[in-house]
Parts: sequence; C-alpha cells; structure tokens
Amino acid sequence: MEIERIDNTPTETIEGYRVRPGKPLPFGVSSVPGGLNFSVYTSAGTACTLVLFSRSEEQPLAEIRVPDHYRIGDVYSIVVYDLDYEDLEYGFRIDGPYEPELGNRFDKNKILMDPYARIISGRDEWGADPDWDRAYQYRSRVAFDDFDWEGDSPLEINDADLVIYELHVRSFTKNENSGVKFKGTYAGIVEKIPYLKSLGVNAVELMPVFEFDEFENSRVHPDTGEKLYNYWGYSTVAFFAPKAGFAASGKIGMQMDEFKQLVKKLHKEGIEVILDVVFNHTAEGNERGPSISFKGLDNRIYYMLTPEGYYFNFSGTGNTLNCNNPVVRNLVLDCLRYWASEYHIDGFRFDLASILGRDPWGAPLSNPPLLESLAFDPILSSCKLIAEAWDAGGLYQVGTFPAYGRWSEWNGKYRDTARRYLKGDDGQLGEMAQRVQGSPDLYQANGRSPATSINFITCHDGFTLADLVSFNGKHNEANGENNCDGGDDNHSWNCGAEGWTEDRDITRLRTRQSMNAIGILLTSRGTPMLLMGDEFGRSQHGNNNAYCIDSPVSWVDWSLMDSNRTLFEFTRSLIRFRQNHKCLRINRFDHEGSRYLPSCSFHGTNAWEVNWSAESKQLGWLMSCDDEETGHMDAVYVASNVAHYATWFNLPQLPDSYQWKLYYNTGNLESAYYENPANYDEQGILVGERSMIIFAASPRET
Amino acid sequence: MSLTIEIEQGDIHVTITLSGDVDTKTAPELLSKLTALELHALEQLRLDLQAVEFVSSAGLRAIVFAKQKMPHESALYLIGASEQIVDTINKTGLAQAVRIVSSVDDI
Repeated sequence: MEIERIDNTPTETIEGYRVRPGKPLPFGVSSVPGGLNFSVYTSAGTACTLVLFSRSEEQPLAEIRVPDHYRIGDVYSIVVYDLDYEDLEYGFRIDGPYEPELGNRFDKNKILMDPYARIISGRDEWGADPDWDRAYQYRSRVAFDDFDWEGDSPLEINDADLVIYELHVRSFTKNENSGVKFKGTYAGIVEKIPYLKSLGVNAVELMPVFEFDEFENSRVHPDTGEKLYNYWGYSTVAFFAPKAGFAASGKIGMQMDEFKQLVKKLHKEGIEVILDVVFNHTAEGNERGPSISFKGLDNRIYYMLTPEGYYFNFSGTGNTLNCNNPVVRNLVLDCLRYWASEYHIDGFRFDLASILGRDPWGAPLSNPPLLESLAFDPILSSCKLIAEAWDAGGLYQVGTFPAYGRWSEWNGKYRDTARRYLKGDDGQLGEMAQRVQGSPDLYQANGRSPATSINFITCHDGFTLADLVSFNGKHNEANGENNCDGGDDNHSWNCGAEGWTEDRDITRLRTRQSMNAIGILLTSRGTPMLLMGDEFGRSQHGNNNAYCIDSPVSWVDWSLMDSNRTLFEFTRSLIRFRQNHKCLRINRFDHEGSRYLPSCSFHGTNAWEVNWSAESKQLGWLMSCDDEETGHMDAVYVASNVAHYATWFNLPQLPDSYQWKLYYNTGNLESAYYENPANYDEQGILVGERSMIIFAASPRET
Repeated sequence: MSLTIEIEQGDIHVTITLSGDVDTKTAPELLSKLTALELHALEQLRLDLQAVEFVSSAGLRAIVFAKQKMPHESALYLIGASEQIVDTINKTGLAQAVRIVSSVDDI
C-alpha cells in the first residue's frame, strides 16, 4: 500500500488552486508528487504573488498571493497542485519599497522572471519581432528531465591536449552554403560534427548560449537601414536556460533537448563543450533598462550600486552583477553546477572574469570567495575554468588572476606578442620565446602550468585571422557607431593593401602569414584556441567588433573552404601533428626534456645561439621529450623568420640515431605541408621571407 | 484542432492510430490512453502518425514516456510520420527511443 505523506497534501485553496507551504530549496520550480514547488528569494520584498499563465496567453490564469506564513527567512515558497506542466508559464510579482536612492526598485505591477527558470519562452524563434506590448516578455516555464543520455558523461580531456575551436552557434552554419538543413542552430552544429572531427579539434567553445534577447538595444543602421542586433549575446536574460532562438525546435519549446543532443553527439566524437558564460552583468542594464528579474526581486543584493543607488559599470554594459555577495555567489555556483550536471558541460570560459574578483564596492579582492568556491567545488572539480582575466573597469590580471591551481586564462599577452612578432616588429623575440613555452614569465612563479595559458591569436573579439593580415585598421562602419567601437590596438598588418586586392603577391603573402600564425599557435605549449573559420580564411571585411551584425558578414562562408584549401589542409595537418608530438603538449615548466635534448630550447640562425637584439627577426624553438610508448625521443624544431628577406638557419644537430624530417614550409605555398615528410640530411635550410619551417625528429632507419 | 485516437489490440502489439494534431491541449489525452495500456508488458507499440500534421513537445514526451515504461527489448514504431515530425525527433535526441518506418509493411 502506498502511504500518502502528510507533508504532501494541499492545506488550502487560493484562487481555485489547491496549495500548501512549499520547500525553500531548491530555488525555482521543482516537481513534487502531484504538484510543483515554487521558491523565490527576496530580502527586501514585502509580499510575493505567483502569477500563472497558460502558454503564450496574454492574461494570467491566476495570481496566487503567497501567504506570509509560507515565507521562511527571505524565501517565499509554495506548492501548487494539479497544474498542466506542459502548458504552464509563470512569473512573480514582488511588492516592496521603490527607493532608488537606497537601491530598492520594487514594483508590484511588473511580472518578474524566475532567476532559476530552466526554460524560457518569449523569444522562441530567432529574429521574430516580439510583441512589446506584452507585460511579461521572458516567461519562465517548467523543464523536463527525460533526456536519454545513453551513458554519456563529460570527457575530461587533459587541458594540455585540448585544441579549442571558438564558435558562435548561429554564425557557424547560418550561411546558405553551410550545407546543413537546420541552419544557425544547435542541430546545425550537430550536422557539422564530421567537419569538426576532420579538422581535428577536440573542444568547441560556444559563445553565449544562455537565454539572451537579440532585440536588446536592437536598432536600424542610420545609413544602410540594416537591422542591428544584440547578436553575440553577451547579456544574459536567464542563466539557467539555453537560448531558444538557437534551437531549430525552439518554436515547440524543445531547446533543452536539442542542446543536450548537441552535447551528447559532440561527446560521442570526442569533442568537449565549453560554454562562454557571462556573469559580470545582465540584460537589465542601468536605471533606464527593463526590470526583467533581479532588479525587481532584490536590486540591492544583485547589483553593485553607488552610494546614490546608481549602477556601477565595470562591464561597460550598464550594470555589474554583485558576484561576491553570498546570495549571488550561490546563484552563480548553482548555475554552473546545473550546466555541468544537467547538460554534461566540460568547461566554462568566464567573460570579463576579473569582475568576479571585485568586492561589492568594486575593489579587487586578494582572495575572492566566488573564484575560490568555483575552484574547489565538488561538482565542478573536473570542469575547465577559463578566465578572461580582465574587465572593462581597467583591471588586467593576465598572469595574476586568483587561480587556486584551477583557473586557466585567455592569454591576451600571447595574442599581442604573436601578432607583433608575426608582422616583424622590433624587439619581440624575448617575449615570443616566453609565449611559445607556455608563458613561464606569467605562470611559473605561482606554481601554475603551461596549459594555464589559453593561447590564441584571434577570437570573436577583434579581427579574424584573414582580416588580421588584410587590414591595418578596423572598418566597423556597419556597426552604426561611426567606426568608434572596437579596439584600436590590433597589431595587424595588411601586407601591402588595405582590404580586398587582386595583387597576387599580396594575397600569397596573406596566406603565408595566416599559416605562420597557425604554425606558431600550434607549436606553442599551452592550450591553443582557434576561431571558427580561420582555418580557411573567414573574413568580416575588416570589422573587428561584429557584435551586432547578423548577416553574411558575420556568418561563416563555407565556400572559402575551396578557395583557401591550402590553408585549411595546412591547419588540419598541423593539428594532427600537434596531437602526434607530445613534446609540444608538455604541461610542466620543470620538465627536464628527453635523454638527448632539453625540454625547450631557443635557436637563431645558428643552432643554440639566439640574437636577442631588438632588430633580430629570426627565432627557432626546439622541444623535446621521451615518448614512453615508443621508447623513442620526440623532438620538434621550428625555424621562423619574420624578416622580409630569406635567411639561412643552421639546424640543431640530432644524435646519430635520429634524423630530421621536414614537415612544413610556409615559404612554399604549393606544398606547405608534406603528406610523406622526407628525411632531411642537410646541415641547414634557407627559410624564406616571412616564413616558417617545421621539422620533427625520427629514428634513423638503418 | 481535435485529436482522434483509435486503439487496436494485435497479437503481440498494440496499434494506436492518431488523426489530428497532438498539441499542448490534446497531448494529455494521448498520454492517458498510453498509460492505460499494459506498457510494462508490451512487446511492440505501433503509433500510426500518417494523419498527424503536428506533434508538440508534450506529445513527444508522452511517446518517450511510453517507451520508458515498456520493456527494454520492446519496440515502439512510428509509422508514416511527416518529415517535420521526424526532423524534430532527430534534432531533440528522441530518435534512439523509437523506430521510424514509412508504412506498416516495413515492420
């Protein structure tokens, strides 16, 4: 006989609904036998009403004022029975004082989204014009947990073995020529998994997928009439919900399933999923922005406010989430735990992460509790935690981000140094040598490892690789801000003409420079990250900040695969080369090298001698380790010449039992990589102007 | 639009023929018909969807629910589902729970 539990029976009827006092935890909505438990926190609110809707109806089904005695501490919770979960949408009204100067912005006329909502409706289809007259825009729904994972779990690939591929869900497959059926969606990425697999990357880093509103600050370009969106989505509406507009099945509310299917399919092919997460601010903007959720729930708790009650703006986007308030800290922790456990996410990259280390008044903390909690969390213990170690308020922490032995960093110094070195700037060799070996100058002293450094030359912010070698300056007119937006410190070089050109010498040089960039990236220690499409020369026509552009300018043009085949094949081959050569992936600064060679050594035109002077433009690096599986020594030698003239390099000598094989030569675009690398018995090699050559040692055949 | 549900008991299987839309309003009817079957002992369930244009998430969840209650080695056939329905099933990862066939002769 089944025994009916006494704490699971309705105790009263309100507005025709049978209800009882709920459980304060978990926050948000959870299912209990026969009903749903709703729980919401507000410290300064004085009353809470649960508003229920039938799906997509304008007028509520019911408004249930939560009785005061249902509140425990600062949490209102209520169980409501006999609801149709599939059809239900809900929100809250919170009453309380409206005193902006004291930080309180309660307004019981507003219906607020549940900050813990796991699924949101209201922006179900990308770009479909919303009905702005609706009182309640982003509507909380009830999530289902019936997905069949078929035994999937996070992959836990070693940090040092990762090759990350950064992509925007919509841009990746939206173009007509992407060859997929479900363009611009999670399902579209699934269709491109064979491509990712053939490229050889083993992690994708998805630009924001938490529910955001592409219509936030959307506008029309004053000159072109083109519609401009919040395209990238660095402005979260709902932290627990995947963006519906990125799902081909968003219209029927199945974005959760579609996103899980994406993760499961990627995992099946050995590809991890890293999410770009934005906890530094929200879509509610400043005092002029909308009240979506936090603002009306407990403004003073969730946001950093000035003594006058205005919003601090360390994010450059209007408000700053108060991440080191214990309540907010728990929300962040709950959110990441949820994505790690419910969606099997392998890692997170934190946008403007330095903000997460500021105290409620904005001062940087030496021991920030949020960063520490994340680093030592039991559920997140095998997740990658990657910091964008700076913020828009002037904090720059590359090398000093509070890491607790767990955090890695987008290495902005790697990007800047590699760019300057590539274009042949004076005085770059010393710093380039640091970057190539995993930036020990930044990470060794505090006990961190080379894979702390996420190495990249391009990312969504800034030029694509093709634009880096085609433009001296940004061309952001399409963004409608008179070319004032976007960074000016691009360290780019157009190779002789600004933008598109028919000059074959210039286009060939650009291809070579692109190869050199990828060559440096994939032969450096640390974790390399590529930007989508850079492997075949994706361009944004010089736009270095396409955050608002939803057009072929920002979409990956897959026809470039054919026109830039050599670059693609070169990249693909070099990723495999990296995976085949352990010595490039050593993750210790104190590694002693192989039986014959040091772990990492630097060379100039003469082996073992580097001309470190400011004018010097030639650098070689030799990495080595013993390979326990084969019993052989592994060694890779890279000779790079960034001068505008060819230069002779004497090669480092190998022991008699080994010989060099020549794998790559970007000076020879007709065959920049060799399918069957030949033995190379010469003492030296001529490295062409702005070119690099890559050798690997192999046991001498006797 | 309404949904009609016809149930026919075969020797080892049950065939449910649907006609109309399985939307948020009608999915609960399907779910209650499904739960009324002896799912835990059913070897084969055939859902004939030839006369169905639209299946909502609630409808798909009802189908998944049925399969989860059926024995491991059982089979749930979807017969004659439209391209749109099949696409949704593939996109959302429900495909491994069901066997998609174009007609009853393919079973």
